[in-house]
Amino acid sequence: MRPPLQPNRDTDNTLLAVENVSLRFGGVKALTGVSFDIRKGEIRAIIGPNGAGKTSMLNCINGFYHPTDGRIIFKGEMRRKMRPHVAARGGIARTFQNVALFKSMSTLDNIMVGRSLKMKAGFFWQLLRYGPAIEEEVAHRKVVEDIIDFLQIPHIRRTPVGRLPYGLQKRVELGRALAMEPDLLLLDEPMAGMNLEEKEDMARFIIEVNQQFGTTVALIEHDMSVVMDLSDRVVVLEYGRKIADGTPEQVKSDARVIDAYLGVAH
Amino acid sequence: MDILYKAFVEPFLFMSEAPDLLLQTLWEGLVSGVLYALIALGFVLIFKASGVFNFAQGIMVVFAALTLVGLYEKGVPALLALLLTAGVMLLLAIAVERIVLRPLVNQPDIILFMATFGLTYFLVGLGELVFGGSPKEMIADALYLPQGTTELTLLGGPVRFQHLDIAAAVIASIIIAALAVFFSRTRIGRALRAVADSHKAALSVGISLNQIWVIVWFAAGIVALVAGIMWGARSGVSFSLQIIALKALPVLILGGFTSVPGAIIGGLIVGVGEKVGEFYWGPLVGGGIDTWLAYVIALLFLLYRPQGLFGERIIERI
Repeated sequence: MRPPLQPNRDTDNTLLAVENVSLRFGGVKALTGVSFDIRKGEIRAIIGPNGAGKTSMLNCINGFYHPTDGRIIFKGEMRRKMRPHVAARGGIARTFQNVALFKSMSTLDNIMVGRSLKMKAGFFWQLLRYGPAIEEEVAHRKVVEDIIDFLQIPHIRRTPVGRLPYGLQKRVELGRALAMEPDLLLLDEPMAGMNLEEKEDMARFIIEVNQQFGTTVALIEHDMSVVMDLSDRVVVLEYGRKIADGTPEQVKSDARVIDAYLGVAH
Repeated sequence: MDILYKAFVEPFLFMSEAPDLLLQTLWEGLVSGVLYALIALGFVLIFKASGVFNFAQGIMVVFAALTLVGLYEKGVPALLALLLTAGVMLLLAIAVERIVLRPLVNQPDIILFMATFGLTYFLVGLGELVFGGSPKEMIADALYLPQGTTELTLLGGPVRFQHLDIAAAVIASIIIAALAVFFSRTRIGRALRAVADSHKAALSVGISLNQIWVIVWFAAGIVALVAGIMWGARSGVSFSLQIIALKALPVLILGGFTSVPGAIIGGLIVGVGEKVGEFYWGPLVGGGIDTWLAYVIALLFLLYRPQGLFGERIIERI
């Protein structure tokens, strides 16, 4: 376990700020007045019981949902009605709770699609497989191969991902997100449905990504021991409201968090 | 017994007695098969990327051909008219994305399907308004499409190859090959396949669905333009041409709605099946079976392979 970051009020250090965000679907309040921030280079966990609004929060951050109220500031810029592909261009990558891969495509192609935004050669030259386009394809292919080696999945390079076991699919999905070289990596339950060994691998990958490339990570996770080990700071949601925010130690001893997780006698 | 003999023995005897006639029939079948494949390809492109069955594909063929001929008749040089028509198809693609697809995103498939019905009637009206409703001749000469016939003696008899048919087969094959390379080798092609697999994952890596939709509708428009020129050169440009789109349906059922190779093989099966069926078995029932044979073939396929030759097998857990 790493020492937690020192509390820092320096606003320059804030990568993303969520301010008073509410999200309603008709009468259903998914989020109510949630505020927190994500600092550059940290691993930030979002936890909470089922239906607490964790995934909704992630969807707001990368533009799948638009907050009904409040604002989200990313890299110092306020974004209103952000669309997902624009968020991706801004440097936000994500994975999904139930794995969203391009099932009929190979591992290699899936991760190559993650490079889409980085590829610049005109499509006409690509069609002709002409000089600069080839060089570019080779350069990106190199990056993709590095990612495949990093995630230790070279043996499934050519396999259509729809045929892979769940644990490996999650790893390919992480690879695709890494291929975008994101500033902010959103992981929605990266270890759900994994066995202990797979969980340990995934935890190691997340820590390495964070430390080697300095990628800021925001993750949702249910496994409390994982969250406490991995994250620098934790925000806790319950019924769409924030009930706690702080270091793992602070959150663990918070009475409201204990109530939310263990239930409370009325 | 006589009818069984006529149905199951005589046609094959005839085939072996006159192999040159069989070759002629197969050739004609292949040519119309390639053109069916081209039309089916227009459907597959749009269906793959947006899950919409584009009923308007047939009228897009007519509209493209009509625009081309109409511009030429208004005095625009043929090759310029060809470029301008391509431009019109691009405008159409952008308009469809803005006005039809974007407001209807995430609606049930049937709603998008009905919207393409609306698009069909809009294009019929627009075409008639601008270029008039009377049939036109395709400007085959001005586009340097070859005319005439080559007669070769093959398998003991004369076999005729119309130059236009050869050109049609070659051009259609080039378009199909180019699309195949485009899908498998380019960044945009990869993005198209990605969108076909998962919208939300594609969005999360920065692919713009709106941009992809414009690209596929434009590609389908170009395919429609080529199909329009080729069919138009064979049978004239008129609104009745849009029923060839209905011929693409059995092709799609055979090949699977999401498969480019499927559309090609399906097109060839339907084209050859029709011509051979009409020539050898047609007289048995008084002719004209090429109007319905394709649907019967498709029906038989549906019984045994509902997902088509190359379609994605749908297995659902219950």
